Amino acid sequence: MPLISTSSLTKRYGSSVTALDGLTLDVEPGIIGLVGANGAGKSTLLKILLGLLEPTSGSATVMDMDVATQGPEIRQYVGYLPEHDCLPPDVSATEFVSHMGRMAGLPPAAARERTAEVLRHVGLYEERYRPIGGYSTGMKQRVKLAQAIVHDPKLLLLDEPTNGLDPAGRDEMLDLVHRTGTEFGIATVVASHLLGEIERVCTYLLAIDAGKLLQSAPISSFVERTGTLGVEVEDGADALAERLVAAGLTAVADGRNVLVDCPDERPYDIVRDVIDEMGLALTRLEQRRHRLEDLFRVEGRTDDAA
Amino acid sequence: MTRREAAVVPRESATGAIYDLGYRGYDGPRLGRRAAFATLFWASLRAAFGLGRSGRSKVVPWGLSAIMIVPAAVAGAIQALAPGGLSPFNYDNYLWDLQPILALFVAAQAPELVSSDQRNHVLSLYFSHALARSDYALAKFGAMAAALFMLALAPLLVILLASILASPDVAGAVGDQLGNLPQIIGSPLIYAVPLAALGMAIASFTPRRAYATGAIIAVFLVSAAVGGILSEAGRGRLSLVAPLINPFVLLDGTRNWLVGNSIPDSPVSRADLTLPVFGVLTAAVTLIAIGAVLWRYRRIAA
Repeated sequence: MPLISTSSLTKRYGSSVTALDGLTLDVEPGIIGLVGANGAGKSTLLKILLGLLEPTSGSATVMDMDVATQGPEIRQYVGYLPEHDCLPPDVSATEFVSHMGRMAGLPPAAARERTAEVLRHVGLYEERYRPIGGYSTGMKQRVKLAQAIVHDPKLLLLDEPTNGLDPAGRDEMLDLVHRTGTEFGIATVVASHLLGEIERVCTYLLAIDAGKLLQSAPISSFVERTGTLGVEVEDGADALAERLVAAGLTAVADGRNVLVDCPDERPYDIVRDVIDEMGLALTRLEQRRHRLEDLFRVEGRTDDAA
Repeated sequence: MTRREAAVVPRESATGAIYDLGYRGYDGPRLGRRAAFATLFWASLRAAFGLGRSGRSKVVPWGLSAIMIVPAAVAGAIQALAPGGLSPFNYDNYLWDLQPILALFVAAQAPELVSSDQRNHVLSLYFSHALARSDYALAKFGAMAAALFMLALAPLLVILLASILASPDVAGAVGDQLGNLPQIIGSPLIYAVPLAALGMAIASFTPRRAYATGAIIAVFLVSAAVGGILSEAGRGRLSLVAPLINPFVLLDGTRNWLVGNSIPDSPVSRADLTLPVFGVLTAAVTLIAIGAVLWRYRRIAA
């Protein structure tokens, strides 16, 4: 059973803005990264899956339930963390999360119990009894996450969960997202415009651009080793490249780097010996991998060509 | 499933070593849409009186509630001390006389119930649960109506209590007052439902609380002033229908029609219209206002 399935899903705002343009995709459970630039249609897709927005045309199912007709049933099993602020300032985190738990259908006692539990999981302790208005951005994001998981959803939709956080807050939030996806076992969709974040926590990648599907594949297929060794030296990259070619390797200089093809392990020793003989200052030696950025770079080129 | 098992793992944290019981799932019942509706209704009713909120949000609702009850209590006390004296208040005129307090309560608390959810974008969370948009609108309207009903009912109960206690024959007085129950329950209901609908219709259209409060006060003030001026200055037909602009005149007329007697020298008694006219107009205004609230929440972006 696909977790999420859409078929030529289109959403237009007015007559000029097309947020989703015939999007067709199938997603299996996991931690799914939904990546795209601002305005690519990430939030629109999440809102349609929740039934907050009606698509202009096309259809979508979540856990085999139709978004158009079974919205309330779907929403019982979905947790949502919106991109923007969504917390009332004058109530405490405990009260708010428990209220949202009951809105999601938990009986009062269960709502109280689970509220205490999820607030502990997201790392809110003494401050949970204070009004939310006085919280830092990081604490607010935690409350938003807590209200999204208080009813133990089967699917979690997170829209820019690290929005507005400092680097430390980002790391903590990403760890939390990773835990909810793995340890808590909740299928999670993380929308983000930051590839690095998606790369860190997700197992599967959906890339959309201008409302169209760009890529849909496991993360591992993007970050495989390329079989290229990057050698960074202080000076003399060109000379090094020449010597390596003379030694029978395929090597090109690229700025301070020399890129060496590595079909097997033989080049490592040669590179080491040549650098030693030339007395060069070696700064870095690394196995090159595909980066997610390449995905967009390549796509950008084909766009230009078209 | 492995996540249902509670794995006890000591974990270092800022607060020292804590024992993390692990995440536990939830396999219990999920109560669905009706429970969500009931939850929102009760939470909003509590919010209308500032319960569970800071002391500051209690000042207005409790202050107005006190002002609403004090005249009835004072009149009752005087009645008890000087038996036989006539109270200026009865079930017919009390809510009419204290209409500014009801209007202020609507103006202050209707925005409290709906504007802040819009301003703080809490709506997108509500709408991402089992609740339908119309459920949200109706739960909020219901809570406002219930709050107004309680506010209006309380002083009438004080009048009831005072007249029973002031009577030399308490048992007999209880019997006499039983006949007034439709009026004691009915009048607050007749005032509460249309006022809540009007207040919600205005408040739901702006996320700014101050604007909403101002608009509601303006509607009551302007309609009362215009209605009064036209009925004084106008002639013939105009002066006859002019009072109908004022919602409180409509409410008093409806009350007069359904559960009580006319108030001497009030706009309703002067208007010389058949009473069902007030009832029909009240119903129409109420339905239109509820329709406006539902329309607003069907369209609002979340």
